[in-house]
Amino acid sequence: MNDTVVTDSVKRFKWVGTRPLRPDGIPKVTGRAMYGADYKLPGMLYGKILRSPHAHARIRSIDTSAAEALQGVKAVITAKDFPDQKFDYIGPERVAVNFWHVTRNIMAREKVLYEGHAVAAIAAISTSIAEEAASLIKIDYEVLPHVIDVDDAMAADAPLLFDDMITRGVEPVPTKPSNVSKRLEFAVGDVEAGFKQADVVIEKEFKTAAVHQAYIEPHACIARCDADGQTEIWSSSQGHFQMRALTAQILKKPVGDLRVYAAEIGGGFGGKTVTYLEPVATLLSMKSGNPVRLMMSREDVFRSTGPTSGSSMWVKVGVTKDGKIVAADGVFKFQSGAFPGSPVMNGCLCAYAPYDIPNQRAVGYDVVSNRPKAAAYRAPGSPISAFAVESVLDMCATAIGMDPLELRHRNACRIGTPTIFGPKHAHDGYAQTIEALQNHPAYKVKLGPNQGRGVASGYWFNGGGDSSATIQVNADGTVLVATGSPDVGGSRASMAIMAAETLGVDYSTVRAIVADTGSVGYTHVTGGSRVTFATGTAVVNATKGVIKDLCKRAALIWDVDPEGVIWEDGFAKPAGSNVGDFEPLSLRALAAKASATGGPITAAASVNAGGQAPGFSTQFCDVEVDPETGKVTILRFVAAQDVGRAIHPSYVEGQIQGGVVQGIGWALNEEYIYNSKGQLDNPGFLDYRCPVASDLPMIDAVLVEVPNPAHPYGAKGVGEVNICPPMAAIANAIEAATGCRLTELPMSPPKVLEAMDAKGA
Amino acid sequence: MSDAPARVVFTTGFSRRYTGGVTEFAVAAKNLRGVIREMDRKFPGLAETLEEETTVAIDGELYEIDFLRPVKPGAEVFFIPKIEGG
Repeated sequence: MNDTVVTDSVKRFKWVGTRPLRPDGIPKVTGRAMYGADYKLPGMLYGKILRSPHAHARIRSIDTSAAEALQGVKAVITAKDFPDQKFDYIGPERVAVNFWHVTRNIMAREKVLYEGHAVAAIAAISTSIAEEAASLIKIDYEVLPHVIDVDDAMAADAPLLFDDMITRGVEPVPTKPSNVSKRLEFAVGDVEAGFKQADVVIEKEFKTAAVHQAYIEPHACIARCDADGQTEIWSSSQGHFQMRALTAQILKKPVGDLRVYAAEIGGGFGGKTVTYLEPVATLLSMKSGNPVRLMMSREDVFRSTGPTSGSSMWVKVGVTKDGKIVAADGVFKFQSGAFPGSPVMNGCLCAYAPYDIPNQRAVGYDVVSNRPKAAAYRAPGSPISAFAVESVLDMCATAIGMDPLELRHRNACRIGTPTIFGPKHAHDGYAQTIEALQNHPAYKVKLGPNQGRGVASGYWFNGGGDSSATIQVNADGTVLVATGSPDVGGSRASMAIMAAETLGVDYSTVRAIVADTGSVGYTHVTGGSRVTFATGTAVVNATKGVIKDLCKRAALIWDVDPEGVIWEDGFAKPAGSNVGDFEPLSLRALAAKASATGGPITAAASVNAGGQAPGFSTQFCDVEVDPETGKVTILRFVAAQDVGRAIHPSYVEGQIQGGVVQGIGWALNEEYIYNSKGQLDNPGFLDYRCPVASDLPMIDAVLVEVPNPAHPYGAKGVGEVNICPPMAAIANAIEAATGCRLTELPMSPPKVLEAMDAKGA
Repeated sequence: MSDAPARVVFTTGFSRRYTGGVTEFAVAAKNLRGVIREMDRKFPGLAETLEEETTVAIDGELYEIDFLRPVKPGAEVFFIPKIEGG
């Protein structure tokens, strides 16, 4: 049973907050929805990417002649077919990129830097011919020593991935290269002085495993490049505008030559905000003259696409006896994979963000190693640092004999609380999530032997930025809402709800679609928990544009000034009795007269949405630990999250449940297992153990609604912060059950058992 | 207070790179464009960096760079590194 805690006045909406059926449901449950791999075009070729078997090797030569000579092969490409890119960090490192690195990740040049790194690609008339051609490509590798672990990669004698990588952010500038691409430091107050005020100081080291987003659908796309350069791509991604921009940059093509269509997406969670296939398929199509489809296998996904970072961390927290956190310090070392760009900055900024701590410091390191380049994963960076900080906070609560929720509540950030990154918090919401759990009946349920309860919290910025929407009123008064946001979590329904609410019409008369890059204005990715906020704002603004137009048309029909017409409950009405006595005009009636009153009724809006308000989540779980096997069973999981206003509560609950489940997998089982050669030994779902339904109780999602005034209906992003608390909540619960503090993820049965054996539990 | 300038703040790392280590400035401007223009006047070329590399927090509210975003008298304007989500 899920609950909703509403903190403002009673809801007064007709559609916002309701749970209509999802408009994309039938094609998805009947298997008719078109995902990236479902598209076919006349004359289509089948692509195959040849990948490195080595974790680290210099490419001495590549001979593709035998592959090119094979009958049925239409194109073979290697890195030399791609334009090289200037070595330049364009824009903010974590958001934008160094395209010198990006093009080398898409196709290796001088070296292969991880097992699975692409080295060549083939387009052929069949998959079997493409695979045979791949086997005919001769690559002369000079195998080099490799390094996987982040601490090992930082060692003075570690094999270097780049011979000229000098750590940025260090003064004086180092004279020797290393695998550390960047050092960051954020601080407020005086940390050393703060610790002197503490009655209890606890410090601990932690390690987290790199974990994959584990989206069900492997990457897939199809590209058709015509002789004049005009290119169309059908792709499964979190942002078809993003795929267009990245493909254009990597191939040095004009953006205007590319049109990208959003296929349905079978999960992304951040991992489909980057490109792997689209530029390769386009180049193969350019070279062959035919459309080319590329698909990854599950093994390709695990070996070649970005998980989030693994990490090594140290965190120290000081508290007074009465529960005031007076100082926090931490070092966060994040793997970025084979190229710079881990989410370590986010990890540093979010680590203590839920709390009012006068003295804080966070030092971060971005470290390359021989594994796939890290990609975004749900609140990238924040869950990692939260595991360490929230674990230590729990130990502090135990040390001073305080309930862990109470400790968090006493230190909860409020409006005006400073952050480590400078500005003061502008929104409440965190304390309310704690209170929701303090008042939750399950928090008071007594537990049995080998059982324990753990709590933890999380913070995420949420996103805003550029989005567009177009509204069209059809001849019968039905409405089309077109946006550029791929629908990963129910946004079509949410957009239709907001348009229906604004127009005052029935939800069933509004249809929302995901339009291609040629049919709607630029829209940034579906990521960062930004779509309901930013694209939703664009939809509401466009709808208001339609309403303004409708009022003008009604005024024309009534021969009155437009100011004399108001829009109310789906009808144009006279603003007052002085305007005249007119029967209200419905949307349908006005649509029927569209041609005579000025032509088709449409409106578009584009926004750079800001003031998005952050997300806060507090969760508790009850676990039982099998003393003989170390297996941890989740008995209960309650997750409270400040969602602003739930536009479609079922989807919001789904986001919370999904994030929690992914966090449970991160906590208990998921990890990459590399052999001594740096090759991945578990590139499939049988051996890379994600939670399945039978592993889990129903996740109890508690929606705390503290509306965001910057959104027309109060919405805040809800997709990410829910993955921040589970790892620490479970670690804290395991300690409560066993007395053993686990500091390394995953807390799989062997590790739990080892800890229990060591303690004699 | 009505004509108080905005307090513009950079992170320590950013200020080391671009503003000679100075982290705070008083800037009179009605909107973000005015703030950026004034900072570019003090440090030629800084506008491009601010526009491309930063997110801005005005009185704690996070925004992507948007010239028309109003800046009230006495507002705190923090330029912080851009943030990416998943």
